[in-house]
Amino acid sequence: MTPSPDSPDDRQERDAQAGEYVLGLVEGAERIALERRIEQEPALARSVESWRSHLAAIDATARPIPPSPGLWQRIESEIAAILPAAERGRAKAMKAGRTLGDWWDNLAIWRGAAMAGALAALLLGIGLIGALDRAGRQPVMVAVLLTEASVAAAVVHTFADGRVEMLPLQAIDVPPGKALEIWTLWDRSVGPRSVGLIDRARTTPLRLDQLPLGQNQLFEITLEPATGSPTGRPTGPIIAKGTTSQRL
Amino acid sequence: MASEAGAAGERTEIEQALLACAAGDKLALRRIYDAQSPRMVGVAQRLLKRRALAEEAVQDAFVLIWRHAARFDPERGSGLTWIYAILRNRSLSILRDEKRTDTREDPVAEELASEEDDPETVMSKLSDAKALRACLETLTPQRRGIVLLAFVQGLTHGEIAGRLGMPIGTVKSWIRRSLISLKECLG
Repeated sequence: MTPSPDSPDDRQERDAQAGEYVLGLVEGAERIALERRIEQEPALARSVESWRSHLAAIDATARPIPPSPGLWQRIESEIAAILPAAERGRAKAMKAGRTLGDWWDNLAIWRGAAMAGALAALLLGIGLIGALDRAGRQPVMVAVLLTEASVAAAVVHTFADGRVEMLPLQAIDVPPGKALEIWTLWDRSVGPRSVGLIDRARTTPLRLDQLPLGQNQLFEITLEPATGSPTGRPTGPIIAKGTTSQRL
Repeated sequence: MASEAGAAGERTEIEQALLACAAGDKLALRRIYDAQSPRMVGVAQRLLKRRALAEEAVQDAFVLIWRHAARFDPERGSGLTWIYAILRNRSLSILRDEKRTDTREDPVAEELASEEDDPETVMSKLSDAKALRACLETLTPQRRGIVLLAFVQGLTHGEIAGRLGMPIGTVKSWIRRSLISLKECLG
């Protein structure tokens, strides 16, 4: 029984799924899979948008609460470290031209591309430090996470106010049903603790609220099932790792 | 504001601001902040209950808006729904994370929602002019209550089932059927 692409049953199913998604009821691996479909299926994307615009009326009933006076400053200092999207696009295009594009997507090619990777890391590193200088807002500690081939895959920044974030420097190919889990290790007798789970390489705050944080603390990214490691310990291959150093 | 008369004009303003953000104009982000942040804190507060977490969600949302402004595509939807989708996503992941890791005695889930976040109160505040209100009224109070609890307070199927003392399968199928009939009504 394969209904035709536009049967009423299909439409209902699609609208119900889109509605559940917009309500926030789709989670974990199912959600990652659905988001991929939304990217690819215009009819599903339209249904999601239609739910969002109807349900916006409910958000409009929320009582407005004036934000604390410091909120805008916190946003401003956080975005000061980010290049504008337009510049990032240019930087990416430039890098693609210099390092032959998608080598990152393939682990086998990675290993042969250490030189190109090191060059890209250097270029990105310079850009990053420049951006931070302009911002006048600098991390207290930085960890550069390197792949096995010594390609810089991501950096972890820790800030004086206790915030910790991870910024990817490259796209990382995440197979369907998998996710990237970020771990930190400060004491071998305690073992690694999970501090983040992301479906693809993107900037993410790390949750170290209750955990110690110091110099030479290991951060690593492993490939795990979409819902995170089933054991609470890293189980998949290590994508990249590095230790924190104090900024001068 | 996420509705009402001026929506068309305001949408355009937000969409223009998003385009300017993509080009690196921080004042444009500030314009969005001035226009939307109180409502955004309100929406996040309904989901997260705690003010500090609500502001964290709004902060993260603005950073994400800035970072991804170039990905906003006016052909695919309005700027306003794009912004609130980012805020809601961020709030829900904070909510789920907190519930997973919170070791305090009063985890977020247990914190009482304010009375104004109660489904029937939300219903009464919904604009008469909106198709959504008329369509929600075609559902029984209990069924629309479940849909509103999920959206307004970010409750999962399991939490709704626990709160109402209903089997989770029933909650799932009620929501699904409610969504299908809402969609038919909304067109």
